[in-house]
Amino acid sequence: MNRQLFRHHDTIGHLFVPGIKARVEHEAGGYLLRTNREGFRCRHAFEKKRAPGKFRVLLFGDSYTAGDGVSDRFRYGDVLETLIPGLEVYNFGLSGSGTDQQYLIWREMAREIEHDLVVIGVLVENIRRIVARYRPYETPDGKPVLLAKPYFTLERSGDLSLHNVPVPREPLTESELAGDGAAHVDRGGRFEGLRRLVAKLGPDVKERLQRWTRYQPLPAYDRPNDPDWLLMKAILTRWTSELPGPAVICPIPLYQYIEETASPKGYQARFRELDAPPRVRIHDPLGDFQQVSRAERRTYRFEVDCHLTPSAHEVLARSLARTIEPLMAKSS
Amino acid sequence: MAPNVLGISCFYHDSAAAIVQDGEIVAAAQEERFTRKKHDPRFPLRAINYCLEEAFLEADELDAVVFYDSPTLSFDRVMKSLLSVAPRSAEQWQKAGPSFLGIKLFVTRYVHRALKHEVPVLFTRHHLSHAASAFFPSPFEEAAILTLDGVGEWATTSLARGEGGRIETLEEIHYPHSLGLLYSAFTYFCGFKVNSGEYKLMGLAPYGRPVYADLIREHLFHAKPDGSFRLDMRHFGYLDSDVVTNERFDALFGGPPRKPESRITRREMDLAASIQQVTEEAVLSLARHAREVTGSRQLCLAGGVALNCVANGRLQREKIFDRIWIQPAAGDAGGALGAALAASHMHFGVPRRVGGDGRDAMRGSYLGPAYSSDEVRAFLERHGHPYERNEDREIRVQRVAQTLAEGKVVGFLSGRMEFGPRSLGGRSILGDPRRADTQTVMNLKIKYRESFRPFAPSVLEERCGDYFAIDAESPYMLLVAPVREELRKPFELPAAELGDTDLLEHVRRERSSIPAVTHVDYSARVQTVSRDVAPDYHAVIEAFAEKTGCPVVVNTSFNVRGEPIVCTPEDAYRCFMRTEMDMLVLDDCILEKSKQPAAPKDESWRQEYELD
Repeated sequence: MNRQLFRHHDTIGHLFVPGIKARVEHEAGGYLLRTNREGFRCRHAFEKKRAPGKFRVLLFGDSYTAGDGVSDRFRYGDVLETLIPGLEVYNFGLSGSGTDQQYLIWREMAREIEHDLVVIGVLVENIRRIVARYRPYETPDGKPVLLAKPYFTLERSGDLSLHNVPVPREPLTESELAGDGAAHVDRGGRFEGLRRLVAKLGPDVKERLQRWTRYQPLPAYDRPNDPDWLLMKAILTRWTSELPGPAVICPIPLYQYIEETASPKGYQARFRELDAPPRVRIHDPLGDFQQVSRAERRTYRFEVDCHLTPSAHEVLARSLARTIEPLMAKSS
Repeated sequence: MAPNVLGISCFYHDSAAAIVQDGEIVAAAQEERFTRKKHDPRFPLRAINYCLEEAFLEADELDAVVFYDSPTLSFDRVMKSLLSVAPRSAEQWQKAGPSFLGIKLFVTRYVHRALKHEVPVLFTRHHLSHAASAFFPSPFEEAAILTLDGVGEWATTSLARGEGGRIETLEEIHYPHSLGLLYSAFTYFCGFKVNSGEYKLMGLAPYGRPVYADLIREHLFHAKPDGSFRLDMRHFGYLDSDVVTNERFDALFGGPPRKPESRITRREMDLAASIQQVTEEAVLSLARHAREVTGSRQLCLAGGVALNCVANGRLQREKIFDRIWIQPAAGDAGGALGAALAASHMHFGVPRRVGGDGRDAMRGSYLGPAYSSDEVRAFLERHGHPYERNEDREIRVQRVAQTLAEGKVVGFLSGRMEFGPRSLGGRSILGDPRRADTQTVMNLKIKYRESFRPFAPSVLEERCGDYFAIDAESPYMLLVAPVREELRKPFELPAAELGDTDLLEHVRRERSSIPAVTHVDYSARVQTVSRDVAPDYHAVIEAFAEKTGCPVVVNTSFNVRGEPIVCTPEDAYRCFMRTEMDMLVLDDCILEKSKQPAAPKDESWRQEYELD
C-alpha cells in the first residue's frame, strides 16, 4: 500500500486521513475509497444543518460499515441511499474500531450534526474489541507493534470510566506493556496459536474445522451477566440515552452465524435485551442472510477475507431498509 | 463513448502502467517506484493499482487493457534468431524459451488474474507504442516520428508519420541491426550496466576523443546514405550468447572489457566519445531521412536511444526540423503510455485534441501519485518526526531558497511524482549550483558515490537564455545545451597523450559560474521550469534567484545510488535520514535534519540496493 490510510487521534485512537482517494489492493482485485474532509469514508461532506426534504441517518460501525474489501458504492450505507429516495446516510464507520471508539466518534464528532436517526452497526465481534486496550499493528517494514486505544471500564456504580485518553501515540512492543497489559491485547479471539496454525492451512481447512467443531467465536454473549457483555450493554445504553432521537442497533453477524456453523442464540438474546422501541430498535438481519442456500451464503464473504462482499452488503441494506423506511414515513 | 484504457509494459525492464480516459492522460507510473526494486520488470500490479486509484475506476469500467508489445512477434524473433545461429544458441534457447513461453504469451491471463475481471486485452506493436507515446502527447498536429531502441519484436528503429489520431509506419530497421544494442555493447564494454548505465557512458564522452570512431564505422556500424545501417554481427555476442560483445570486439578495442567499478582509463573515455559521435551521426542521418520522406517540419522521438540528451541537443541545434518533441519516458516504461494512447485514438477512435497553447499533453510528466498535506502530516505524526507546517507557500519557498543559498542540500517532494527516469522537481534533491563544492558534497554525502558527471540544472524557463545557449524549452531534461560563453571559466582537459587521467580531479574544477552543473565540455543537461506546469518548483527557483541572482538550482534524483526514485513521504524521509541532506520538504511541511532524533547507525541499507 503506497498510502497511509489512518492517522492518530488523541481521543478515538485513529481515524482515516481526510481527503484521501485510494485503491486498496485486495484478494478481490482491489477496492476504491475516498474519505471526506472530516476523515470518514463517506461521500458526503458533513454538514451540520440538515437539507430540507432529506431524512438523515448517522451510521456508525467498524470495517463492516466503513466497507473494507468493497468500493464505496457497494457498502450497505451507500446501497441504502439508492434503495430509499430522500435518505442521506452519513457514514462514520471506522475500520479497526470497537463500539467504544464508535461511541466516542459520536460524542466528539457527530452529536452536533442534525439528524433523524442513528444506526449503530455493531459487528458482534466488537464485544472483544471493547475490552481490548491495545491493538496489534504491523509497521510498513513488517514489524509487529501494539497501538493503544481508548477503552471504558464499567464501575461498580454502573458508571463508565474512560481510560487511555489522550491515546498514547507511540507504538509499543509486547514486552513494553506494563502490568496486565498483555491480557488486554485484542488477539482476535481465543486459541491464538491454534487459529494461526489453521489459517496457515488455508481457507478450506479452516472452514471444515469450523463446520466440524462448531467453534463458538464469541462465548461472551452466552451469559447475561458476562462482564464483557455488561460493558457492551453499558456503552450502548449510555450512547442511545444521549441521543436526541431514535436509534436502530443492528448486530451484524459473523460468517459463522450466517453459515450456521456456530450458534447465534447467545448474541441474539443479548441484543434483544436492548430493544426498547420507539427509542431503541434492534434490527437483526441474520434471517435475511439465511434466505439462500448455505452454499450461496459462502459468497457473502471473500475467499480469505471475511468482510462482507458486495452481495452481502446488498442483503444487509435491503434488510435494514425494512426498519428504516417506516421510521422515515412516520417522521414525514 | 469515452473509453478508459489501461496500458501496461513489463517482462523486460522498467515495467509500468498508464491510464488514458477519453484520450486524456490521467496517470502513469513505473512499477519500481512502488516495489522499490530498480528497473523492476515484473507484471506492474502496483502501478496498475495506482492508475485505477488516480482515475478512480473499477476494473469493470475499463474498456481495454493494452500490452505494449506483441509477444507472438517477439517470440518469433527470438526463435528465428536463435535458430539462425544454432547449435551455438542452445544455451540461449534454454534461457529465453521458457521466459517467453511461460510469461509473455500469457499476458491476458496475468491481466485477468490481477484485476479479477475479464477485461478485453489488446496487443499493439512495440515501436507503435513508442511512436504513439511520442506523437500523441506532443504539441504537433502532424509530425515525423522516429523510434530508436534496442529491439522490440523485430524492429529496432522505425520511421512513422503521425497526423491527428493516426500513425502510419513507413520504414523499419530490423534486428539484429540496432543502434540501441550498439550503444549497449559499448556500455557493457566500458564496465557499465546495460539498460541503465548508458547515461554514464554518455556522461563520460566529453572526457575522451573520438579516436575509435573510424574503427567503429569500418568494422561495426555501416551507415547508408538514407540513414539506415547494418551491424557486422561477427563482433557481437547477443545472437548466440548472453554477453553483448565477443572476442572479436575485444580484439578490435585492445583487450577485454573494463571490469565494473574498476578505474576508468583513457580507453573507456575515448570509446565513449567515439560511440557518442557515431550515435549522433546516425541520429542526424535518420532525422534527415525522416524529414525527406515525411516532409514534416516537426519531429517526435521515443525509444531508449531518445534518452541520449547529447544527441538530442545536437539534433535540436542542427535545425533539421523546426521543432522536436521527445517523450520523457522514452524507454519501455513509456511504452505503457503509448499503448494506451494508440488504443484510445487508433482502436476506439477518440479524436486527438492538441492544446492551442503549444504545450504538450504530458502535464510536465507529473503523472504519478501525489500526497496531500493531510497525508504527510498523518505520516509525520504517526512516527513523531519533528516538522514545521507552513501553509503560506511564499514563506515556505523563502525558507527553502535561503537554505539552498547557504550551500545546504534540500530533499524536495512536491505534488505528483514524475513518470520517466528523470526527477523534475516532484521528487528531487536540490543544491546551489554556484558553489564549487556542491558537486562533491552532494555526491559524497547524499548519493554516496563520486561521479565524473556533473549534476543537471533546473532553470527558470524565462531566464534560460541568460545561462544556456538553447532556443527551445527543455522541460524534461532531455536536451544538452552549452553554458553561455560569458559564464565560462578557463579550463582545459589535459592532453590525451598524458594517458589516464583522474576524472574526479577535473570534474571538481570550476568551469563556469555554475560549476556544479557544467560538464568538462561546458555542456549542461538542462531542465527548463515553467510557472504554469510546475508552480511550486518554479517558486522555489524564483525565490533562490531573488536571493542570489542565479535562477538555476542543482536538481538530482531523490534517491541514493541503486535506489529507485522515492515515491511516498515515507520513502523520502527514509532517504533523508540515511543521507546528509539538511532539509526535507514534504508538501507544506518542512523538516530540518538538525531537529530530527539521531537515527541509529545502520549501514545495512547500503546492501539493500543493487548498484547501477
